[in-house]
Amino acid sequence: MQQSPQRGWNRREFLSATALVALALGVPAAAVSLTSLESEDAPTDRQRFVMKDVSQLVIPRSATPGGGDVGAGDFAILALAHGLDGSRSLLKDAAAYARFARNDGSIRHVAWLEKELDTRAGGDFLKAPAGQRLAALKALDAEAFASRESESPWKAIKGLILTGYYTSEVGGSQELRYEPVPGRFDPDLPLTPDFRAISNDWTAVDFG
Amino acid sequence: MQFDAIVVGSGITGGWAAKELTQAGLKVLMIERGREIVHGEYETENKAPWEMPFRGLGDTAHYVREYQVQMKNRHFNEFTQGHFVNDKENPYSTGPDTDFTWFRSYQLGGRSLTWGRQSYRWSDYDFGANKRDGHGTDWPIRYADIAPWYDKVEEFIGVSGSPEGLAQLPDGKFQPGMKLNVVEEHVRKVVADKYGRCLTIGRTANMTVAKPEEGRSECQNRSICARGCSFGAYFSTQSSTLPAARATGNLTVVTDAIVEGVDYDPKTKRVTGVRYVNTKDGTQAAATARLVFLNAGAFNSVHLLLKSRSEAMPTGLANSSGVLGTQIMDHANTLSTIALFPQFNDRTTFGNRPTGAIIARYRNMDAMDGSGHTRGYSFQGGALQSNWGAGKREAGIGAELKDRLHQPGMWRFVLVAFADCVPRDSNRLTLDRTKTDRFGIPQLHVDFAFGKEEQAALAQAKADAAEMMTAAGGTVIMGLDQPGAGGTAIHEMGGARMGNDPKSSVLNKWSQAHDIPNLFVTDGAQMASSACQNPSLTYMALTARACDAAVKMLREGVI
Repeated sequence: MQQSPQRGWNRREFLSATALVALALGVPAAAVSLTSLESEDAPTDRQRFVMKDVSQLVIPRSATPGGGDVGAGDFAILALAHGLDGSRSLLKDAAAYARFARNDGSIRHVAWLEKELDTRAGGDFLKAPAGQRLAALKALDAEAFASRESESPWKAIKGLILTGYYTSEVGGSQELRYEPVPGRFDPDLPLTPDFRAISNDWTAVDFG
Repeated sequence: MQFDAIVVGSGITGGWAAKELTQAGLKVLMIERGREIVHGEYETENKAPWEMPFRGLGDTAHYVREYQVQMKNRHFNEFTQGHFVNDKENPYSTGPDTDFTWFRSYQLGGRSLTWGRQSYRWSDYDFGANKRDGHGTDWPIRYADIAPWYDKVEEFIGVSGSPEGLAQLPDGKFQPGMKLNVVEEHVRKVVADKYGRCLTIGRTANMTVAKPEEGRSECQNRSICARGCSFGAYFSTQSSTLPAARATGNLTVVTDAIVEGVDYDPKTKRVTGVRYVNTKDGTQAAATARLVFLNAGAFNSVHLLLKSRSEAMPTGLANSSGVLGTQIMDHANTLSTIALFPQFNDRTTFGNRPTGAIIARYRNMDAMDGSGHTRGYSFQGGALQSNWGAGKREAGIGAELKDRLHQPGMWRFVLVAFADCVPRDSNRLTLDRTKTDRFGIPQLHVDFAFGKEEQAALAQAKADAAEMMTAAGGTVIMGLDQPGAGGTAIHEMGGARMGNDPKSSVLNKWSQAHDIPNLFVTDGAQMASSACQNPSLTYMALTARACDAAVKMLREGVI
């Protein structure tokens, strides 16, 4: 994008120019294929179903689509394999999850979750009724967040499902507001019920 | 190639040196080790998270392999990774007891693209600090020497801020300051009324008034500065000094070129030019000039002096004092407090303000009231509301969670202390004796540790921060009093300090080498103390001042 040497951009020109560039180039395909994952992290079809279902339980469909609808599960699978949010750091109590360990000692979260949910459902988690699946996941969630010291792999899984949802176009710009060029700063506004959080409030994303 | 002046580096000070020297009519060669980046062609600037392969967080597995230091920088992410060095390709070594994270940006514009933009004047508390408590060596200048150069720099780069009339943080030529948010306004009143301290909006090189004649717009409150800003709303080489230098027709820029050494002629006792290697094809080249300015960044300028050793100067160029490399510093910093302010949860804000607020230094000014330390500290931070990220730390799933994250959440106030780092001989840079980089150049070796003064300052800062937050009605939930690794403030400086005495300093009061009259070092390497303010504005002012002096000396035939 060339800038006029005579003067700077104003907000309206900038937004329209950005839209034109996007039209001309097409929005680049951002997805990284799950098939590129190494074998120990390549998900089975069932694991992808589990992650999709769990994503939808974490962020259900309302007036806007849910986590499973927007592919938050697949994103979390990719993100966990690549260690986002510290998810390939070694646990203090590695022995507790030894059967799900990779060669480098980190935990295969998805394999753990699949097994854990089946155990809690007393069989095939995916075949359990919706209410039972939600109850099982709520119990798992409550246990994982009961203490700060908990090393439950669920914390990382849930976190990356949320990232997957709120950084998707639906989650970021329909469920929440995406404001790429606010153009101003209002320091004190009433927080009214119709005020949607800004998904790209980067200070909040970093420190909130 | 023959030039009047060579400027090594194109970052915050290199851009200024190029601007000032070309505008004085000199033919200038600016050499940059990294690639060219063209203003307005910032690759990720307008990307949404969903247009990025890893949604803006980046591929951690890749970072662990290639960016193991840079990934610790809070401005480093998938959008900005192209503005940081690959650590694997750019190694440095550290001593056995040293934990030093060296954040670097090797590209045209250097760290001017990724800097935090906080712009503060130093005061005579700072320039007089070494003389007063005996750490380090005295500065050869005082505030009056630099004040007009602060004026010049602030007006050109565009600094927004609020005048407060503080002796320890002098006011400058500000554009209107950005606004404090509702919680910060409240805390400002409490800390002023109860403690006589000043909480003010960050003085930041983000403009609130456009400079249309320079093609620069006012800040759009995006707060994605480190991706690059096509609005030119924050100061960078690209937005500001480079177009000014280019407009003179006197500037030649060479990118992708690492300077291997500065050449010295023992007969004339002058430097004659530089030798450099093209990083793309390995070819070597040289250029000569009457003046050489080192602006490679504090540590890299020292590195260049050390590796430019010769028979005449066997311990490094301009190092007859033997102090080259010593007394490096970085601000000791830590997260002093996080406090919750739920009483404001019915208020919110709009827009991503690209600066926080600060609480100006208040210790060890006219009364020595520091506990176990003789210098100052200040706080940077501010009040912010949580958003969807808070869901990662809390129990809850389902409709209740989605509903909760639909609106902004809890207000919290964050204060990060930055403490003055006293100069110590043991904190130093040397050439590694065995390790080299991919071009066979000896790696820079860093020995660094904070001492009891910084520990004491951060302990007092933590207590003060908690007290102020509590007084303002906040609930303190955590606080730290141990400094992070060296380098984390990204204010690494010193190593070629200014001083009056050629026996104990490298540079004189004009940022000019005592040993070599046509050699100037005007980046962070020249610093004799650290103060507790962000230093870049001072580097720029000293650069403009040194350029003016150098041109005068050149015209008078002194050099």
